[in-house]
Amino acid sequence: MNSTNYDACPECDLLIKSAQLKIGEKAHCPRCGFLLSRPRKQTVERTFALSIAGFILFFPANLLPMVGITVLGNTNTGLLMSGVIALFNDGMEAVAIVVFLASIFFPLVHISLSLLISGHLYFNRPNRCLIGWMRWMHHLDEWVMLEVYMLGIIVACVKLMAIAPLKFGWGLYAFIALIIITTMLTSGLDSALFWQRIEQLSNENIDEN
Amino acid sequence: MKTKTNALGQGFIRCHDCGCLVKSVNHLSSCPRCDSHLHARRPHSLQRTAALLFSSFFLYIPANIFPIMNVNQFGAGDPHTIAGGIIELFNSGMIPIGLLVLVASILVPSLKLIGIGLLLLCAHFRWQVNARKWTVMYRVIAFVGRWSMLDIFMISILVDLVNFGAVQIIAGPAATAFAAVVILTMFAAENFDPRLLWDNQHNL
Repeated sequence: MNSTNYDACPECDLLIKSAQLKIGEKAHCPRCGFLLSRPRKQTVERTFALSIAGFILFFPANLLPMVGITVLGNTNTGLLMSGVIALFNDGMEAVAIVVFLASIFFPLVHISLSLLISGHLYFNRPNRCLIGWMRWMHHLDEWVMLEVYMLGIIVACVKLMAIAPLKFGWGLYAFIALIIITTMLTSGLDSALFWQRIEQLSNENIDEN
Repeated sequence: MKTKTNALGQGFIRCHDCGCLVKSVNHLSSCPRCDSHLHARRPHSLQRTAALLFSSFFLYIPANIFPIMNVNQFGAGDPHTIAGGIIELFNSGMIPIGLLVLVASILVPSLKLIGIGLLLLCAHFRWQVNARKWTVMYRVIAFVGRWSMLDIFMISILVDLVNFGAVQIIAGPAATAFAAVVILTMFAAENFDPRLLWDNQHNL
């Protein structure tokens, strides 16, 4: 029995013959129904393009004002970072750090990693760090909470609309675009294929030396 | 009945990180492809999940009792608990948003605590169950967990925007407890190994 011809389901450990899927097909575990693989068209190119777009959008989304509120002639505008600072100044250091990590730091690291990995794969450049990057990206997936933050913005705006007029800035539009891109990145990533390509690249590198 | 085989029973270990199958006969301690530690099942899965679950259970009490934010208007403070904020949304006629917050900050955390508790009991006492349904339950719990952070993000925006000298919103002590509950239950779900449910079923 050769281990390369087989796969195990990550959620029920059923031993399954690896299937060669065509684009657009899905493989589910016959026992527990887990979505095993779902190959996408040109996944490396797609990931590379989306990562570039996401990396660029990250800056306007963080630097331009998102929501502004005017009360008695005074206007306050909010950024992702200013929310973190406000929490910090209230003595909520732990919460401020969590918000910073989930809405600014992890998304940035995640997009940078996916840019680095897909860039290396796209240009066929082997790199010793690829494996480490790939593992980190896999672990960070769950902690990128931009779409949850968006719901937070919506609820906060609904609450504030009753009090005072709101103004939406370009930062918010950039942020929405960033969410669409990160969602497409995580849902369209074919990690099995990425691992295979990384393995191929490092093997070629060994052969050349 | 058709016998279906576990990878572990056939001497294979699936790497947690890159998903490649490794023959456990070779006694490798790390994955040949990605170099992460190999474990047939998540190490100390039940103990870790139970520890995280108990911590989040006890933090869930202060998270609901203490105010999550204070609305200061002209010197007079008005503390809001999680439930109070939802009731206020309902009273002001914003039913859909109120339902959203109700689901994200009350139903999801409490059902998650109960759900992980049931999964732990099932794996520990080797209950004979429909493992497929329980795995689906695990999947739902693992998926919805992060959406509870909604309340924390909302507070960070409110605290930042409503800061006008006379009118201020200040985060309350429950925010820390609630954020801790969400993060600890996320870790608990991550540490639970659903394959333990399948290992315990006698007739598959």
